[in-house]
Amino acid sequence: MLVSFDVLARDREGLDILLRTLTTRIAFLTQGGAYPQRDPRFPPPDSGILGPRIPPDGLSVTVALGASLFDDRFGLAPARPRHLERMQGFPNDALDAARCHGDLALQICANTLDTAYHALRDIIKHTPGSLLVRWKQEGNVPLLPPSPGDIDGSARNFLGFRDGTANPSAQDPALMDELIWVDAQRDEPDWAVGGSYMAVRIIRNYVERWDRTPLGEQEAIFGREKMSGAPLSGGVEQDVPDYASDPEGKITPLDAHIRLANPRTPATEKNRILRRPFNYANGVEPNGQLDMGLLFICFQADLQEGFITVQKRLDGEPLEEYIKPVGGGYFFVLPGARDEQDYLGRGLMAATT
Amino acid sequence: MQPLSRWISVSALALMALNAPAQAAVPADALVGPIAEYKLYVLDNLEQLVAHTREFTQAIEQGNLDKAQTLYAPTRVYYERIEPIAEMFADLDASIDAREDDYEHGVKDPDFTGFHRLEYGLFKAQSTQGLAPYAKGLMQDVDDLDQRVQGLTFPPSTVVGGAAALMEEVAATKVSGEEDRYSRSDLWDFQANVDGAQEIFELFKPLAAEEDAGFVKRVQGNFDDVEAILADYRVDPQDPKKGFVSYDKVSDADRRALTGPVNVLAEDLSTLRGLLGLN
Ligand code: HEM
Ligand SMILES: [Cu+2]
Repeated sequence: MLVSFDVLARDREGLDILLRTLTTRIAFLTQGGAYPQRDPRFPPPDSGILGPRIPPDGLSVTVALGASLFDDRFGLAPARPRHLERMQGFPNDALDAARCHGDLALQICANTLDTAYHALRDIIKHTPGSLLVRWKQEGNVPLLPPSPGDIDGSARNFLGFRDGTANPSAQDPALMDELIWVDAQRDEPDWAVGGSYMAVRIIRNYVERWDRTPLGEQEAIFGREKMSGAPLSGGVEQDVPDYASDPEGKITPLDAHIRLANPRTPATEKNRILRRPFNYANGVEPNGQLDMGLLFICFQADLQEGFITVQKRLDGEPLEEYIKPVGGGYFFVLPGARDEQDYLGRGLMAATT
Repeated sequence: MQPLSRWISVSALALMALNAPAQAAVPADALVGPIAEYKLYVLDNLEQLVAHTREFTQAIEQGNLDKAQTLYAPTRVYYERIEPIAEMFADLDASIDAREDDYEHGVKDPDFTGFHRLEYGLFKAQSTQGLAPYAKGLMQDVDDLDQRVQGLTFPPSTVVGGAAALMEEVAATKVSGEEDRYSRSDLWDFQANVDGAQEIFELFKPLAAEEDAGFVKRVQGNFDDVEAILADYRVDPQDPKKGFVSYDKVSDADRRALTGPVNVLAEDLSTLRGLLGLN
């Protein structure tokens, strides 16, 4: 789940309290435990939706800041990450202002949605004067066991394709350092080292129309086989697609989603991003079509070379006929808190006193 | 809008040692005085509500659109101030103050009556045509409310809890501008809800201060702040009767700025009952 907030704190002191409060709450929520007791004549300190003892349940909360927080309110402007900007619409976008941008975003993930809700409500209750929810988008990664005759592989998105296959491996620390984490070589403010850029896109899928599209065309649009997830150039899901022996795109069209997104040339290696796709379903559109889609989140050490470059390559792709980006924003993920004395955003606050 | 340094963004929950021992109950007779005073406040506002509603509904029946439009916002104030008590009569609250969203068929719904039905006619349709039956109905309902409250025993927890209830109203429907969408007089209601909450807080402040002086100071600070922001939108700061500018004139940034202290007040005042040992 991705929740974007306006920061209501009116001065640096208020912002500092907010960052410390977020750190304390997240530390408690991710480790779990029991809330203190309170006289029953008071509102209970906890919503209670997880019962008396909070299980960690794989909860993670990622705190990220939007460009608007670096305006003149808190004196943060001189320390703004170099590529952090307000998301501009791309040609196929139809952005809905009510679902865009924000001063601060939380990516809240857990094994169950209730754990994420619990964390969100706890955080809201502890920050009444400093955070105001601007928009929220839930999403889900289906953890279905493979159906009979199917192989185990990446989860499927709402267009029925396996999504997440070609991600750079988070198990490879050197690769993550190179592509995802901001390091000292990046020409970013010192405080930003250990952080990362997060691009968020709410992308509606026209599923009825998609379901009326021939399978062959669907596969050509992505450049992969629908059921196995294997590249059209052959092999199994995890095999590297072969574009070198197909320069005219006879097997994998030149404008296939995966070929545009990652042409797999030495020059485009630096544009690789770490994607976290979540499926969402929000309800029904006035025309009776389902409002379903992809909550697309990706991380990169350089927003310009990462998401923005990849999206520009995708502009005009055949997939656009079936998708419509409607919301999202760019954020900078704060470096983690290192110990009990540290708190999220401490470096930023210290760098701007 | 000038930045306000006094504004306090932290709530009771964030500051309270949550494993505090059980709250000592304030002796029941200590509540008698403030509750009696609150009843006087409510009755006084009801008297005004009856008188203003008479003038307002007569203007409609006489087809005087200008006058009816002018009287709409100042009349509602007396209702919005005493909502914790008025809402105890759910039937009347619905017929007096429900909004079109409360009905499946919206403005066309036959059950949609009261202030907001008249607002729709006066400000959206810009006419008094067809409104007379609604005007008559509103007057009857307000008279009925007045009668019922006269004989009512005020339950302490409803009165004390009313401060928080009013701030919840503000947070839920006033900041968003849903309440008076055609007349755009939301700030009048906003101020009236805050008045009503502050009245309750003032009456119980001495008792609350004995339990938690810091709490009282913080709540007072946040009330002062909301008042200061609202004052920026008065038509004439010297003459409160002139009321407020249209809610359209309040920027998104200022709407958000109002939300901060309002949410902290809602959170803080939600502990007032517990602080006074009420169930
Ligand atoms: C609704 C929108 C989208 C859908 C349904 C979608 C679907 C897919 C699918 C099915 C794959 C192949 C499996 C995989 O490698 O994960 C894929 C790959 C990929 N997508 Fe998307 N995608 C969408 C939007 C985007 C956007 C907005 C971007 C970035 C701007 C993007 C970047 C990529 C990248 C980089 C790859 C991996 C290519 C490779 O390394 O071979 N996708 N996407
Ligand atoms: Cu009301």
